[in-house]
Amino acid sequence: MKKSNFLVLALILVIAGTVTGCKPKEEIKEVTLQWPCIWVGEDSKAEAVAALVEQFNADNAGSIRVEIEAQPDYDGYEQKIRTSIAAGIVPDVFTMKLNPTTKAYYESPLLMDFSKELDMGWSKDFNDGTVSQATVDGMVKSLPYEVAITPVWYNMDLLKKAGVSSYPKTYDEFLDTAAKLKAAGIIPTSQMTGGSNAWTSMLWYSHFLASFGGKNVYDNPFEGDAYVKAAEVLLAMFSDGNTSRDAVGGDAGVSGGHYLAAESAMFINGPWYIGRVKGDAPDVYAATEVGPAPAVGSNSGAMIGFLQTNFAAAANADDPAKAAAAVKFIKWMTKGENVAKISKQSGALFAVKYDASSIDDALQQKFIEASNNASFTISHLAGVVPADVVSEFGQALGKMALGEATPAEFVEMLKKVNNQ
Amino acid sequence: MKNKNIKMILIFLIPVTILYTFFFIYPLGFVLATSMTKWNGISAMEFVKLDNYIKLLTDETFLLSIKNNVIWALSGGFIQIPLATLVALILARKPRGWKTLRTIYFLPNIISAVAIAMMWKAIYNPMYGFLNAFLGLFGSEGHNWLGEINTALPAIIAQAVLYIGYFMIIILAATTTIPKSYYEAAEIDGCSTLQQEWYITLPMIRGILITTMTLAMAYGMRHFEATFLMTNGGPAHSTSVMGLILYHKMDAFRLGEANATGTILIFLGTVVIVFIRKLLTRSDAGSDSVQ
Repeated sequence: MKKSNFLVLALILVIAGTVTGCKPKEEIKEVTLQWPCIWVGEDSKAEAVAALVEQFNADNAGSIRVEIEAQPDYDGYEQKIRTSIAAGIVPDVFTMKLNPTTKAYYESPLLMDFSKELDMGWSKDFNDGTVSQATVDGMVKSLPYEVAITPVWYNMDLLKKAGVSSYPKTYDEFLDTAAKLKAAGIIPTSQMTGGSNAWTSMLWYSHFLASFGGKNVYDNPFEGDAYVKAAEVLLAMFSDGNTSRDAVGGDAGVSGGHYLAAESAMFINGPWYIGRVKGDAPDVYAATEVGPAPAVGSNSGAMIGFLQTNFAAAANADDPAKAAAAVKFIKWMTKGENVAKISKQSGALFAVKYDASSIDDALQQKFIEASNNASFTISHLAGVVPADVVSEFGQALGKMALGEATPAEFVEMLKKVNNQ
Repeated sequence: MKNKNIKMILIFLIPVTILYTFFFIYPLGFVLATSMTKWNGISAMEFVKLDNYIKLLTDETFLLSIKNNVIWALSGGFIQIPLATLVALILARKPRGWKTLRTIYFLPNIISAVAIAMMWKAIYNPMYGFLNAFLGLFGSEGHNWLGEINTALPAIIAQAVLYIGYFMIIILAATTTIPKSYYEAAEIDGCSTLQQEWYITLPMIRGILITTMTLAMAYGMRHFEATFLMTNGGPAHSTSVMGLILYHKMDAFRLGEANATGTILIFLGTVVIVFIRKLLTRSDAGSDSVQ
């Protein structure tokens, strides 16, 4: 072959290869969404969430692909989200707890505002009032997803063993029940001061606040008698053997662990814990009744309920395809039938309307009943105060439990941080 | 030739200088500048002069954290390093099984700090922990080691200073550079082993001892992990350290205050290290010890 013919042939091959090689690339433009996700590993929602993501990817093969970035540690997860947003990098899809501190996210133009999508009919998929809870200055930059009610969990087998036939409804009944439980060698309540928010004890305190202060107790945080009186009752929970020896300094593993091991008779957590109890302690699961905390003040039958997790997404203003893909995926995750699957597997409850008739979990039904029977519902304390107050709660509680602060000083410590 | 050398020096220095500027000088300047602002990381910064510093330096918890950091630093320098030196001197004599012991002492350095903290948390557990079970054999009623104000800080420090392997390896390496003839001469002169260590080994490795003490104290000033994992600063802030305060400020979106905390941490760390080096090296001039 002549040299010139060879060059022409080579040129044709290169052009042909380039043209044929480019064309399919234009057609196949798959959008990939990164989702840093806490519902992985041992989490009770992990399996159902993974199955839904897999199904979504299969249904949208070639156009959208969701990739889960496993992040099993919640504190680490929150750090990651916060640092990313501060650095101007918002994950494509993520979940967050909406509270006075995280409401700062709404100031970021990098987060997607779902208002328009919701106005186009999507808002009907959510339970009444939940979207308005996630609205700040007219913007809905996070969508209500998981809700929580946190009644007291009573292990009826342990109560019966101590000679108590029903769970305590008043403070006097509580003291009587606690005395009988201690006599039978059972720890009356699970408490904790550790972790990032002293979760279990913070919920006990929230119940007592509801009982003393009613549904408007959070109107003026840390003002009025209700806060000190509730602290006095909480202190009693840490005194006279009413909780475990490792409660001061103990974390959620400690408070939950005693309940799972049938060592403590009364405990507080949300419905997401049902899956854990069912799997790890079936006897405890079968023996558990849920209900309001003993009425320590003038209000009885109150319940603690709040938005637990909201969905959020990057605005992706320069990439409309990605923004649309994120909306499509979140719509998939908030679809009633899909939410029902997660709810059925994990026991969690949601802010999305779904057919709950398929949920046959006895304990989950008890949660729904407890919610329906509540005289009124208020948020937990951590949902209405800034993060540094939440962080201070465990320290102040530890100080009070160790006799280094009075209930009034405990409240003063929290008030001081709240006023900063 | 001289010009050529300068060129080469510049060529070799430029990459490091660029990296150092981007990853140290710039962040440090940014931290300093933003430490005088009210900023949540998302909205605009507001210049507040020295308010963040005043707030921190009048906060009881922060002052307690500084004190705790100093305790950590002193524990590192004056408990951990002497322990590491003692073990290094014993192993330098190459007793039977010294290589195995060296590996065992060094092993915790390759295990995750999280795993170690979790293990010690379990050991200290007042209800099921090994320590109370062991002390129970001698009639002790047991303590909530991490849940009581007077025991929490010593408990965390105790588990940390036990891990001497890293410094022991450095000191052990230094001892190998001392000529054997010194010891032979000392032996002929009738010196005991203890005298040999005191009059030959320790003076000869003085430079390394100062370096390891400086490092241990620097680690103490910036300490965070074990406290965060084992007590989160509790109970009642009794184990709080500056690093933890910084973390909690970030957690609460108070980035201006977090950066003021970071600035104080860097400043105090520098002061402590410079002071200790001045103190320990004042009579070191002219010494032929291993540096």
